[in-house]
Amino acid sequence: MVTKKEIGEYIYKIPPASDALQQTLQFLNEGELTKAAQVAKEELALKAYLVNLVNKPIYGLKHQVDDISQIFGILGVSGAQQVVYHYMVSLLSPKEWKCFNLNETSFNSLQAELSAGWMDILQHLKIKNKEVESTIALLPASIIVAEALFRDKKQDVELLRENAEIDLNTILQRLCGMDLFDISAQIAQKWNMSTTIGALLLASSGSKKSSNEKVNLLSKWMHLLLFFTLSKPLYIQAGLNDFIEFNIEYVEDIYEDFQQVMDIS
Amino acid sequence: MRAVVKNGIGVFSPQGFLDGNSSGAFLSIEDIEATLKLKNVNMILVSLKKVIFFNRNGLDTFVKMLTKVRTEKQITVGFCDYDYKKYEAIQKFYKDEFTFSLFATREIATLFATNYNKTPKNVLLYSEDKSQRSAMAIELHDNGHNPVVAQSEKDFNEKKANGKFDVIINNTYLGQMGQNVATRVTGNAIIYTLNSFLDAEIGHTFNIAYHNNSLNVGFRLFIFDAYKVISMNVHALNFFSKLSSAAAEYNATICFVGMNFNKTPISFKETMEDAGILFYDQMDDILGNKELLQELGAGTSVNTKNKRGLTKAIVSELPNFIEATVATLEMMTNAKAKKTAAEIHSLNIEHQEQKIASSIGYYGDLDGMIILVFPKNIAKKACELLIGEKTDDEELILDTLAELVNIVGGKIKTLLLDEGHHVNITLPRTYEGIDELLEVVNDKKGVQVDLTFENDEFLFFLTR
Repeated sequence: MVTKKEIGEYIYKIPPASDALQQTLQFLNEGELTKAAQVAKEELALKAYLVNLVNKPIYGLKHQVDDISQIFGILGVSGAQQVVYHYMVSLLSPKEWKCFNLNETSFNSLQAELSAGWMDILQHLKIKNKEVESTIALLPASIIVAEALFRDKKQDVELLRENAEIDLNTILQRLCGMDLFDISAQIAQKWNMSTTIGALLLASSGSKKSSNEKVNLLSKWMHLLLFFTLSKPLYIQAGLNDFIEFNIEYVEDIYEDFQQVMDIS
Repeated sequence: MRAVVKNGIGVFSPQGFLDGNSSGAFLSIEDIEATLKLKNVNMILVSLKKVIFFNRNGLDTFVKMLTKVRTEKQITVGFCDYDYKKYEAIQKFYKDEFTFSLFATREIATLFATNYNKTPKNVLLYSEDKSQRSAMAIELHDNGHNPVVAQSEKDFNEKKANGKFDVIINNTYLGQMGQNVATRVTGNAIIYTLNSFLDAEIGHTFNIAYHNNSLNVGFRLFIFDAYKVISMNVHALNFFSKLSSAAAEYNATICFVGMNFNKTPISFKETMEDAGILFYDQMDDILGNKELLQELGAGTSVNTKNKRGLTKAIVSELPNFIEATVATLEMMTNAKAKKTAAEIHSLNIEHQEQKIASSIGYYGDLDGMIILVFPKNIAKKACELLIGEKTDDEELILDTLAELVNIVGGKIKTLLLDEGHHVNITLPRTYEGIDELLEVVNDKKGVQVDLTFENDEFLFFLTR
């Protein structure tokens, strides 16, 4: 169905970050918001993406903001880095989705909702770390990878899943020895993202604990946030709710806190 | 959302958070109907295993759909896979308005499903509600299990600590059970379960197409579990007499088990016996007696009637049949298949040792039977994806092979539908040895396609 060779080819074909993106990220890393905005302005697709994303209601801006310097100013260094990563991930998404019932708008909404939820969580946990903040941008990469690998095998996957309780992540793991999150972590590596991002991303699958307890704790919140978001009608109808397995046991100890943060009653 | 279907139970498994907004997106009546059409399903459940939060509004949406389906289709519906906290919450939400069943685990639900086909289990059960305790014990007993009923929580805990039970049932509630003539397969016998009053309705509730195709596939022993039958009228008598006469043409046997004639004229029994129907008091009288099973046809499946030839329509769809099989096997093994030969003749299997086989029938616009013969190592490899690990457990491999053949059948159904042919598929059958298979096929001609998967031979045979 899917072979290791196909996965290798897929990762190989992922383009490296463009010079402009690398430069933008470099300036953000150095805390140079103005310089980063200057470079970002030149990348027109990035500019359009950022304007569209941050003006979504979930970001809570009172007025429409079209200027990149303003956007970066509002988001701050770590927020700006996160949305640039969101943009890079969105570049991998297909023009037309086959495996999942998504489009550019709904995928961007998913990114925005995950992002807003993650910021609330980090505020609750009193964590200010730009790498940790940015990891959420890579989480939907697992969905893009699943789409890329299974888009022409939708019927086969459906038939298989009628007969056995098996998610896409497990299918891939059993066939190729690596799963969607391993591939996402490799993408992060290819884009020279920090090792923290890769480790947190892997643990957020709910099936690969890290040796670092801090990473594990954060990954529980991320895993739960993912399923909180994927329980919304738009994403259930997109077929995302069961693309990976929700590990309830993994998140049990943080669930009550999560309920408070997300105001679930 | 799609259900996973196993042992006649369709289970939907939402994940995450269930509330009034999300539950309608998780499941629709169309999803349930598609599952019921798909296979021989007589129980629909929603698993709460991966649900971390639910509220009354979220469950209500499901309950409304499930109740509608239960009323229309006469099947068992409900929820499964929950812990005590979730069970308590559901009890609190619905109190005395239960229109559905609750099964603490899927394994428990399987014990109450009429398609259950495993060995009898020793079951300890407890419910605070005395009538529930009795209802569960009766159902379990009817399904061939050995229930031990605890009379109090203390009694339950003591028995649980001291006894050796295969399954322990607690936090389970039986709502109204299904009324359709349910089917299950035990070894090579097909068991139909009958209920209450048998009249002309039996013509609608009994799936005659399924029965005929089971005959075509090679099943020769049909047992009617009639413990719960209260009475029978002349219309039902005629129905069973005709069914038995038709079965005789295939050298098949029909038996009734547990039928009492307190409220049915005893002359009906004589008429049925004249038509060739056999009567037994207990299911174990047949299933526990290997010699009798052989004699009744559950072991030897010689097909005396069905020597029909392949039709032009079937042959023209042959590429679809092969594609479905090859694509499924390739999907499951991640190996490429090569076709080495395709000829019309009787089934010819070389190197019969170390091979296992399975078959599945299809019926509708086209009808026939597909037989797949695997070297054991290919079967094992193909099943690894479903099992999740390497195994030498033959029973598990045969069970999984049945699932695999189901997948092939499902794919064929889809491919034929694309060509405008509507077909349904029977339950798959597996064969531990080739002798057993050859008895079923009985020299019938068909298309044999020899394939290789990484140098291992694999055989596909299509016949009628």
